Amino acid sequence: MKKRQMYFRMITASLIRRRSRMLVALLSIAIGATILSGLVTIYYDVPRQMGAQFRNYGANMIFTPSDGSFTQADIEDGRSYIESADIVGVTPYRYESVRIHELPVMAAGTDLTQAKLTSPYWSVEGEYPSGTGSLLLGASLSEQFRLFVGDTVTVSYTPEFDGRSEDETILDNTIDLTVAGVLETGGPEEDYVYLQLSDLEQLTGKSGEIDLAELSISANSDKLRSYAEKISSSVQALDARLVKRVTESETTVLTKLQALVLLVTVVVLALTMICVATTMTAVVTERRREIGLRKAIGASNGGIIKEFMGEGMLLGGLGGIIGSVLGFIFAQQVSVHVFSSSITFMPLIVPVTILVSVAVTGVSCLLPIRSATQIDPALVLKGE
Amino acid sequence: MSLLELKNIYKIYGDLHALDDVNLKVEKGEWLSIMGPSGSGKSTMMNIIGCMDKPSKGEVLLDGVDISKESSKNLTTIRRDKIGLIFQQFHLVGYLTAIENVMLAQYYHSVPDEKEALEALDRVGLADRAKHLPSQLSGGEQQRVCVARALINYPEIILADEPTGNLDDANEKIVVDLFHKLHNEGTTLIVVTHDPEVAEVAQRTVFLRNGKLHKETINENFTGEIKFDK
Amino acid sequence: MFFRMIFGTLVRQWKKMLMIAFTIALGSSLATAMLSVMLDVGDKVNQELKTYGANITVMPKESSVLSSLYEVEDGGTSGAYLREDELGKIKTIFWAFNIVDYAPFINAKVTLDDGSETSAVGTWFNHHMELPTGEMLDAGVTSMRSWWEVTDGKWLDEQITGSRNVAMVGTALAQRLGLKSGDTFHVAGAASDMQLEVIGIFDAGGEEDDRIFMPVDTAQTLGGLDGKIDSIEVSAITTPENELAIKAAKDPKSLTISQYETWYCTAYASSICYQIQEVITDSVAAPVRQVADSEGAILEKTELLMMLITILSLIGAALGICNLVTASVMERSAEMGLMKAIGAQNASVSGLVLTEILLTAAVGGSVGFFAGWGFAQIIGQTVFGSAITMRPVVIPIVAVLVLLVTLAGCIPAIRMLLRLRPAEVLHGK
Repeated sequence: MKKRQMYFRMITASLIRRRSRMLVALLSIAIGATILSGLVTIYYDVPRQMGAQFRNYGANMIFTPSDGSFTQADIEDGRSYIESADIVGVTPYRYESVRIHELPVMAAGTDLTQAKLTSPYWSVEGEYPSGTGSLLLGASLSEQFRLFVGDTVTVSYTPEFDGRSEDETILDNTIDLTVAGVLETGGPEEDYVYLQLSDLEQLTGKSGEIDLAELSISANSDKLRSYAEKISSSVQALDARLVKRVTESETTVLTKLQALVLLVTVVVLALTMICVATTMTAVVTERRREIGLRKAIGASNGGIIKEFMGEGMLLGGLGGIIGSVLGFIFAQQVSVHVFSSSITFMPLIVPVTILVSVAVTGVSCLLPIRSATQIDPALVLKGE
Repeated sequence: MSLLELKNIYKIYGDLHALDDVNLKVEKGEWLSIMGPSGSGKSTMMNIIGCMDKPSKGEVLLDGVDISKESSKNLTTIRRDKIGLIFQQFHLVGYLTAIENVMLAQYYHSVPDEKEALEALDRVGLADRAKHLPSQLSGGEQQRVCVARALINYPEIILADEPTGNLDDANEKIVVDLFHKLHNEGTTLIVVTHDPEVAEVAQRTVFLRNGKLHKETINENFTGEIKFDK
Repeated sequence: MFFRMIFGTLVRQWKKMLMIAFTIALGSSLATAMLSVMLDVGDKVNQELKTYGANITVMPKESSVLSSLYEVEDGGTSGAYLREDELGKIKTIFWAFNIVDYAPFINAKVTLDDGSETSAVGTWFNHHMELPTGEMLDAGVTSMRSWWEVTDGKWLDEQITGSRNVAMVGTALAQRLGLKSGDTFHVAGAASDMQLEVIGIFDAGGEEDDRIFMPVDTAQTLGGLDGKIDSIEVSAITTPENELAIKAAKDPKSLTISQYETWYCTAYASSICYQIQEVITDSVAAPVRQVADSEGAILEKTELLMMLITILSLIGAALGICNLVTASVMERSAEMGLMKAIGAQNASVSGLVLTEILLTAAVGGSVGFFAGWGFAQIIGQTVFGSAITMRPVVIPIVAVLVLLVTLAGCIPAIRMLLRLRPAEVLHGK
């Protein structure tokens, strides 16, 4: 039998046959490793997950026409410069002054499905209009006109005088729409009426023109800035601008949140490592007598350190593997419960966790083992 | 030349003379008992012979080499090569099987050899218990494993510290019988004990008192045959 | 004798006891730090979210319905105003403490020398208030428009400029007029005209870039609107809305008395709005959904996240302590066996062990508590630049936690001690 074989036989025997004691140590290492891998995963995933939450603030980039107006094609063009995974929503807006009950009202023609994505904070009583033929009425307008969900409203529009029909009285275009929902935002949107772009185009008789597009993009402010510059310079008709209030604030808050998670991770990790270290110290100290015996029957100090370290590091490796799995499960659970989305698996965390837990266990074994090798075997074996 | 020779050994702790000018010679193949009441210096002497401690003054010649000035690292090597230790409390590694415990000594000495370890267990009559853990063995069996472990590297001296202290009479007999067998095979045995019955069966018994060699008796009836009987 | 034995253990085995105390201290400091941060993270993040600006706007009653409409119609203002002298009352409502910032706005149409019209907005920049409670508060757009980038000059400081006619000009307008900080320009309002000194040029990234911002009284003089205010933006720390808050927001009268009390005494955006309406005559206060809702969502997520991290670290700490306590008690089995051999009853052996460990735990726990408090402050200072408020509730939680965990750690050890047969222990088995 080779010496190495005996070495492995010894350390595995120690792990397997001293089951309950080793389980306790393994548990503590595994918990440490779980915390390490779990928190680090969360730390890296927080900006992405929280970033998605911040999209609740709505659009962080707007396209304005560099000259007059632009078209849907220009939006698509601008959109192509942005990584599609980053795009939360793109909503075109066209503003026209229309009349309800003969009073002028600002109407916004838009894609209401997209508007729900770029302005998630809109609170709608009733329903979001799903197709054409219905509209979303601002809350102040609703109160002013006494129009509520389900009512039908006639929206009229006076076409611009085009010079052709000089002697005829210009007739208003009208369209009958159902109020699908009443919009509450606490902001200026409550004074607008929102309808599908196609309805507005039908009403005005003009199509293709868009005044503004709101974009909600999940990216940090540097990335947004580079997108905006690229689009402004590449797409002639568009001027891409950042909504400063949203982007600046998001960066501020997100940076702090990440710093918070980082700091908490560091504190928790430091304390967990010390806990692992004290546990390993206790485990080794418990075996002083065995160390004494090994010395008595002829083990050199180096040999003893090698065996106990081997055991400790094997334990650390096992704990690291268990911890990486549990940590991922933990991070996944946190992600699902907090952000209701799945976490990105980072393969690098697994080897790092295992290495760190092997290193921590190794170092925390080394000190007590070294001091244990200093003891006099005669004293320990006397049965003190 | 004697196998082991203690020359004017002193071991002094502060004012206490644990060993006070002790002289002793042990010949190869001899069976010696060291007796004495508690605090007489037995343990100190055993530690010095077992290379686990160094005298304050004096020379310890083992195979003609003075080991009293060696570094503790060299002492470990000497102990590994020349001394087999048997303890009162057996001191087996709890999570290793009987045979693994024996192999542990081989491992530190040179190379573990399962076959040889099994032969050693066979010599102490435990070949069939080789795969048992210490907790599954009786006290006597544990002590026999301990003897097997002490034997495995063919040491010059087997040094036993109260080998029967934790055993009942039946197991005590088995262990003493084992010593007879070892003696007949030519092993040098030094047994530290305060049990006169165990001490008497040796060829020679030295008595320690207050750190000095008090008296020495030769067992006139010693034949080397097993006749310890109770 | 009992205490003498305990004393003996603590003093003579101080190294082992120190290690236990150290681990317990670590665990309890971790628990303290995490709990304090967790309980305070809501407030802290809320403070940070204030960079998004006001989450409540207050408008005159008629205007909230009509102003936008009339603006569309005749481009003027509606004629409904709030009273400037009532502004201080906002800091007297039940949830005054949660109101971190607010600023009034008054719009006056002004004509520039080139004939173009623009909006002159009178507001507070860093209005200094001394509240009846003795608190000081600097409120205004300097903090409520934190996303403004001052591209030239600096923020207008009301304490320095005093009664001079000063203004901050939006970058778009400044570009058109070729203004830099330090320049003066002429504006004519409905009631009077004056020279304004440019203190700073700001880039707001929105329509405000076309406007002139100035102290309230300057704008009032220009528009002849003395003592009048158009709107108030309020930044308040609010609790995320729940069903009760939604129900109450629709009609507070629909609540039962106890529901009403719960609602009124919780810092929902709607209850704060309601309380503001109570103190400001003829006003309508409404939460700004974009800010209020998002804040709610982010706060909730952050708190949940911190809570889960806290739970994980508490489990970690608990297991660490348990482990060590078990290990260290087991280590002393020989000693306990001896005590049983000389006649100690199971109960007295267990009592001895428990008392020792609990004493150690008490010491370690208290040390850990203060260390944890320190950790929490480090986190607070590093991340948020402000101290973490200690909640008294942390103390009992940590105490109970340490107690339970220590006891749990003792259980397997004590069970083992009870099973000990003295003879075996003493024979070194």
